[in-house]
Amino acid sequence: MATSKHDTPGDAHGHQEPAHYDGHAHGHISVATYYRVFGALMLLMFLTVGAWWLEGVVAIPRLLGVIVALTIASTKTLLIVLFFMHIKVSSRMSQLYAAASLVGLLMLFIVIMGDYFARGWPPQLGPLP
Amino acid sequence: MATTALPGRGYLEDDTPTVWSWVKAWLLTVDHKRIAILYLLSINFFFLLGGLAATVVRIELVTPQGDLLSSDLYNRAFTLHGIIMVFFFLIPVIPAVLGNFLVPLMIGARDLAFPRLNLLSWYLYMAGGIFALSAAVFGGVDTGWTFYTPFSSTYANSNVILTIAGAFIMGFSSIATGLNFIVTIHTMRAPGMTWFRLPLFIWASYATSLIIVLATPVVGITLLLLAIERLWGVGIFDPALGGDPVLFQHLFWFYSHPAVYIMILPGFGVISELIATFSRRRIFGYEFIAFSSMAIALLGFLVWGHHMFVSSQSVYAGLVFSFITMLVAIPSAIKVFNWTATLYKGSISYRTPMLYALGFIGLFVIGGLTGIFLGVVAIDIHVTDTYFVVAHFHYVMVGGTIMAYLGGLHFWWPKMTGRMYNEVWGGISALVIFVGFNMTFFPQFVLGYLGMPRRYHVYPQEFQVLHVLSSSGATVLAIGFIVPIIYLMFSLWKGKPAGNNPWEATGLEWQVSSPPPTHNFTRIPVVTSEAYAFPPEAAERDAASWRPGSPL
Ligand code: HEM
Ligand SMILES: [Cu+2]
Repeated sequence: MATSKHDTPGDAHGHQEPAHYDGHAHGHISVATYYRVFGALMLLMFLTVGAWWLEGVVAIPRLLGVIVALTIASTKTLLIVLFFMHIKVSSRMSQLYAAASLVGLLMLFIVIMGDYFARGWPPQLGPLP
Repeated sequence: MATTALPGRGYLEDDTPTVWSWVKAWLLTVDHKRIAILYLLSINFFFLLGGLAATVVRIELVTPQGDLLSSDLYNRAFTLHGIIMVFFFLIPVIPAVLGNFLVPLMIGARDLAFPRLNLLSWYLYMAGGIFALSAAVFGGVDTGWTFYTPFSSTYANSNVILTIAGAFIMGFSSIATGLNFIVTIHTMRAPGMTWFRLPLFIWASYATSLIIVLATPVVGITLLLLAIERLWGVGIFDPALGGDPVLFQHLFWFYSHPAVYIMILPGFGVISELIATFSRRRIFGYEFIAFSSMAIALLGFLVWGHHMFVSSQSVYAGLVFSFITMLVAIPSAIKVFNWTATLYKGSISYRTPMLYALGFIGLFVIGGLTGIFLGVVAIDIHVTDTYFVVAHFHYVMVGGTIMAYLGGLHFWWPKMTGRMYNEVWGGISALVIFVGFNMTFFPQFVLGYLGMPRRYHVYPQEFQVLHVLSSSGATVLAIGFIVPIIYLMFSLWKGKPAGNNPWEATGLEWQVSSPPPTHNFTRIPVVTSEAYAFPPEAAERDAASWRPGSPL
């Protein structure tokens, strides 16, 4: 069957380029910055190992140990995401997507931990001190 | 007859001098349409394999004794079925086949944003498939498609690692496709193609891609952790090593509930296209359908605990998950109501794709409503891990996703191949599938309600009648799936040429020739009207051109 032309939208002459939504904000990160970030990551790695070693020699509260380890780890993550993954110089849309995955991760953590603590553990077994 | 045929070669044509260069032209193509065809062939191959495993399962269940397979072999058979169908068929099928073909065409673009990433995604799919198949060849897996710990990590004595490697690799194929769709839909729409002029299939594909990109990494890492624990005994899920087995279920369902929406949302998109075209009406409540896809994508992330009501999840968490599960049914219901409102006073024609669409609505309603039953903790405790659950998810996955896929495949087949299939056989097989499906799975609701557990191959005598009914329904269903393969193949050389727009549908994909030229649009179209802008007299024209004997 032949196409009837008038019931289809926009059969016009396209002389324009596709609507550009500005994918990236064309930021640039210098090589020097990469090296500095790399240095910082190495430093943080030694901190991680150091903290683990310290926990073996001095008696620090378990909770404190966890908090320190998590802080170092999230700093590393942040550095990688911002600089190596270019989120710092990306478009708003890419930043929104990065934030969305973080929100997803938070949801996952909060709900799972919520369940974990609320599970009705017997007194000696539970996760709480 | 192609009155507006564009210059430029159809994407299926080649002038390759040798067979080898022809093979290379296909295997190294970056044309989204050819990649869609590669996916079509490989995904349908996996569907047939999964169907074979299902056949073995259904034959075993004809008798209560368990006389065909040992219990161990039976475990491997249903696991093979589940893994192939979920990871290698249902999750990729609509995005990778119909989405790949249609997303650029529907928005007026010449290809996806990252054509080579698209090709890579097909190779990843194939690599994942080969891993999973080799696991099957070397003895199979017996964990079920859910890989629950501690069985999978500590006790299972089968090819767990090989299989999860397959699922892991396949996950990256999904991510590549999702990423490609998101970037393409954001940046490559034709001039005038605003967000609210997008066809609803695009909205659905966008929402699906969002879920794919945010959820798939979680299951990837979870499977990796499982492998690490199994290989090196690192305590993640094993309580003896300080792990928590329920953690696996949390992480698995954090992906796998959203994954059920990866399976069904693109189907919703297809159905919106079919209902609008074959009612000759603008879809009722366009914005509501578009936003309900987004709402499902969001809420779908918050209900995973409804798979864990009896897994020693805290009662409190169960309560919250039960409540949010009720919420996620609302956007699904919005879609169903809007489709029926579109039908109202529409000029309905019962062509094959429309038969699938109408079948979809009925079956999805049953599947969705039984989902609500299961979302109520008090009922779920009785029917969890019974055939009631099996029936529920087959109603949504077969009655929903597969019906939508087949409807969409028939609808866009003329566009993909340039040929019409046989409408009579199309209608017959749609009806056969509908009948066969209900015969197979409705008895399973009853079975489950009466207490037949899932994943057992020996059962009490009293369940035999229903099991035999189900197995004979499966036979009818299998015939219904095989007939389309025959007449669709046949149409490739005997089908009558389709012309650009055989259904008189709206949408940019119907303005180009069938099959479309390699670069889709010689000139990028400018869009000036809404989606589904059927002229008021479209219905009258339909009625006037009807002749006795022409399809309804
Ligand atoms: C409409 C809203 C839906 C609701 C409220 C719902 C609810 C549920 C609930 C509560 C369960 C757990 C039952 C149990 O294990 O005891 C379940 C299982 C399941 N549902 Fe749904 N569901 C819905 C839609 C869907 C859709 C659209 C799909 C797929 C396309 C789907 C696929 C599944 C699967 C695969 C399982 C079983 C997983 C397994 O244990 O192997 N559901 N559903
Ligand atoms: Cu679920």
